Amino acid sequence: MQKKILGNSYVLLIMVLLYIPIIFLVAYSFNSGTIMSGWSGFSFIHYQQLFADTRLLKILLDTFILAISSATIAAFIGTIGALFLDSFHNKKNLNVFSSLNNVLLVSPDVTIGVSFLILFTILGFSLGFVSVLISHIAFSIPIVLLMVLPRLREMDNTLIIAARDLGANRGTILSQIVIPEIWPSIMAGFLLALTYSLDDFAVTFFVTGNGFSTLSVEIYSRARQGVSLEINALSALMFAVSLLLVLAYYLYTTYSDKKARLTK
Amino acid sequence: MDKKVLPVIEFKNVGLSFDNNQILKNISFEIATGQFYTLLGPSGSGKSTILNLISGQLSADAGEILFDGKVINNIPAENRRVNTVFQNYALFPNMTVFDNVAFGPKLKKMPKDKIKAKVREMLALVKLEAFENRAIQELSGGQKQRVAIARALANEPEVLLLDEPLSALDYKLRKQMQSELRAIQKRLGITFIFVTHDQEEALAMSDWIFIMNDGKIQQNGTPVDIYDEPINHFVADFIGESNIINGVMKQDYLVNFVGKDFENLDAGMQLNEPVEVVLRPEDLDLVPVDQGKLIVTIADQSFRGDFYEITAIDDDGNEWKVQATNPSSVGARVGLDFGPEDIHVMRFNESEDDFDARIESYEGE
Repeated sequence: MQKKILGNSYVLLIMVLLYIPIIFLVAYSFNSGTIMSGWSGFSFIHYQQLFADTRLLKILLDTFILAISSATIAAFIGTIGALFLDSFHNKKNLNVFSSLNNVLLVSPDVTIGVSFLILFTILGFSLGFVSVLISHIAFSIPIVLLMVLPRLREMDNTLIIAARDLGANRGTILSQIVIPEIWPSIMAGFLLALTYSLDDFAVTFFVTGNGFSTLSVEIYSRARQGVSLEINALSALMFAVSLLLVLAYYLYTTYSDKKARLTK
Repeated sequence: MDKKVLPVIEFKNVGLSFDNNQILKNISFEIATGQFYTLLGPSGSGKSTILNLISGQLSADAGEILFDGKVINNIPAENRRVNTVFQNYALFPNMTVFDNVAFGPKLKKMPKDKIKAKVREMLALVKLEAFENRAIQELSGGQKQRVAIARALANEPEVLLLDEPLSALDYKLRKQMQSELRAIQKRLGITFIFVTHDQEEALAMSDWIFIMNDGKIQQNGTPVDIYDEPINHFVADFIGESNIINGVMKQDYLVNFVGKDFENLDAGMQLNEPVEVVLRPEDLDLVPVDQGKLIVTIADQSFRGDFYEITAIDDDGNEWKVQATNPSSVGARVGLDFGPEDIHVMRFNESEDDFDARIESYEGE
């Protein structure tokens, strides 16, 4: 019993420590003053400022457009890559390619960012939305591949044989048997790529140019002159959105778990 | 078989190897339309390989495979008029029962109402009318098996291939599915080629059995032919229980084993040719010592429900398996009785053609 109380309070302490900065940040977004030190009263002034700040809102929109398009394209390319890798019957080749993929996953963002900057400069490619998009797609593909490949390898091969036996050609097998089978992993890869893209600072910082910025880069450049509470308001809103997403995910998984158990 | 009727499938000297390992060795046979065939053999005997060659999942290294008289070696699997029921069912998990069965007809671009009628007809055939909208995960093993059969038949194949489809079912369900499969085959009148390693299943279901071992067809014939007249040691041992004893053919219709001469019904062999003699356990009777052809001692006895399985040892030390309806007692001395028709003599290394020719030579008289 005592052990349990000790354990619980330990976990609680950790949670509080982790959440304190965020709670602090959210609380101050409602401060009527302009700085983080000293509470001068409750107000929505920073939210009003935020919604009036068209530059920031445009950047927010750009960030989401970038994330959705890079994750979609990466999901597409990554899935095709996984399908090709899965068709390798030589285990050695497969392992080599999987390892090369994992190297990309663990290599620091700074390395990727700098290398893309060098590449774009050598090619004389102008830096902007397209260069950022290309780099985001590039670092997202390995993520999708990591999610999709195991599912493909686990897939029961006789399903494909059975479909062929019933008269299906390669295209039909792919669209009606294989893709539905690996769809959950493609979605998981897409969502993971989406969050990576939304989060990314280092790669974007190197390859973006004039006229295009993402939220993290913008916040970083503004923060150098001291964080305005408008940023707090924006962060609070984004935090709320993440909370909602987690909640939705939780409800979705418990519902499908229940369904899976009932149908067994 | 009637010579005028073209065989639906014909193998001409078909061979196949993997990594210098000969899986099939120069196989030739014919399959007639509307019959229930079984490929029977232990695992690794090549029986599933034959099925995969017919369905097009594998292609032969040598020889020709004919379907309705045309060579199909280079025709891809999706364009062959055969369908397969797989051992693990291979049902599409993301589709309902209806969509699984409708998969083939949809690919053939059948009109929608026809597809619906076809699926209903097939589900009725396998007694799953009410299961159209079920998810595959909701079905039991037996129900999945039925959906797999319905799905394969919905494509209206000329030949249905069944790759050990019942091996995952429990004993009772297996028995039931055996007779149902047989009934479905008779009703549709198409050819079934069934692969199994279960000899009981093969004997119960088939019109014609091919016994495979070591990449070759050891013997083919009706279940009764194969059971009563196995051509070699492997077939005699694999099909049913048997006592196989070395002997010598003294002359036509007289064989010597365990030091005694016995009248039998086999002929056409050389004088004093060494042979193997087969006696089925159910053909042997335990009788009082003075009435027996041989005298044996009961060594072991176990109850099998409908009979007692008895192991007896003769005075030369040979083991005899006997199936008796009445119990005996371990250690008892009893007589062993059998008639001339219960003795089956096999020559060493006799091919199936030679065997048939020999039988014809004296049975035709």
